[in-house]
Amino acid sequence: MSALSRDQLRTMMGDVLEAQGKTIPSSDDSPLDEIGFRSLDFSELALRVEDELGSELNFDAPGLRAIETVGDVLEFLEQLQLA
Amino acid sequence: MSEPLGPIPAATCVLVSGGSRGLGLALVTDALARGANVATFARTVTPELKELALQHPTSLHVGSVDVTDTAGLTAFIRESAAKLGPIDALVNNAAIGQDSLHIHTSPEQIAALVATNLTAPLLLTRAVLRHIMARGGRGRIVMVTSVCAQRGYSGLVAYSATKGGLDSAVRTLAREMHGRVLINSVAPGFFASEMSSVLGPDQLETITRRTPSGRLVEPENILPVVRSLLFEDTNFNGQVLTVDGGSSI
Repeated sequence: MSALSRDQLRTMMGDVLEAQGKTIPSSDDSPLDEIGFRSLDFSELALRVEDELGSELNFDAPGLRAIETVGDVLEFLEQLQLA
Repeated sequence: MSEPLGPIPAATCVLVSGGSRGLGLALVTDALARGANVATFARTVTPELKELALQHPTSLHVGSVDVTDTAGLTAFIRESAAKLGPIDALVNNAAIGQDSLHIHTSPEQIAALVATNLTAPLLLTRAVLRHIMARGGRGRIVMVTSVCAQRGYSGLVAYSATKGGLDSAVRTLAREMHGRVLINSVAPGFFASEMSSVLGPDQLETITRRTPSGRLVEPENILPVVRSLLFEDTNFNGQVLTVDGGSSI
């Protein structure tokens, strides 16, 4: 399957948050610690993306540590799909 | 009942894996300073190690060998013994690191960690033990492991498993070798340099404050521990010596 678009990634991130009773903010600048999106939530999102793609997106922790905002999450996943 | 063997003599010829940089290079330099002959190898021989070899042309043998290359290691042991005399000590230092959650670490990365950090040192240990035993000798072996074999740290699942495997092997090997070879692990905590590359100043300060000794581990803290296991009559055998400022207690 081809790479997921930024909008599709945003929708999937919203699904992860919604399952916890949270709502994804409209702004990409929203800090993750304010909305309670933790590193394991990112892992869950990455695994959902992998399911859609049918291939693994393996990555090291340093890249993950640099993620601070909703936009960072979407950009990191976009980059992983291109790698 | 057999007679007690008495203390194992100090090492005279030490093989150090991964001696091209960092702790490995410091271990090589320290053993040379103690008067031992030293053989060391790494995938890439650094300028620092080349310079050291120039300074010690008769007591240091250096090779470019990958620790997972079993045939290459066998040949390197033979070359080293021909140049320096029989090897009677080994420091298993070479290892690769990990910084990724287990669920995001590829099967290939896990296989590489196990091959380099567990299988290779077991095979190198086997080769050196055979070398020692075939000559009727006695010797000493040190595994450089990690505090993460004892405590849980995120991002280090496969790495921790390999280091824990070596710590387990040390206990069984000490039994098997029955006083002919002393075998121990030295388990450093996280080095200050490693921590500072992945953590911010605030996190570093918190970890330092929580370390009972009040300071993070430096490679210089490891040298006297390995030195004593190689050269002193400590009677340590089958033990894991943790050097972490007490942060794991």
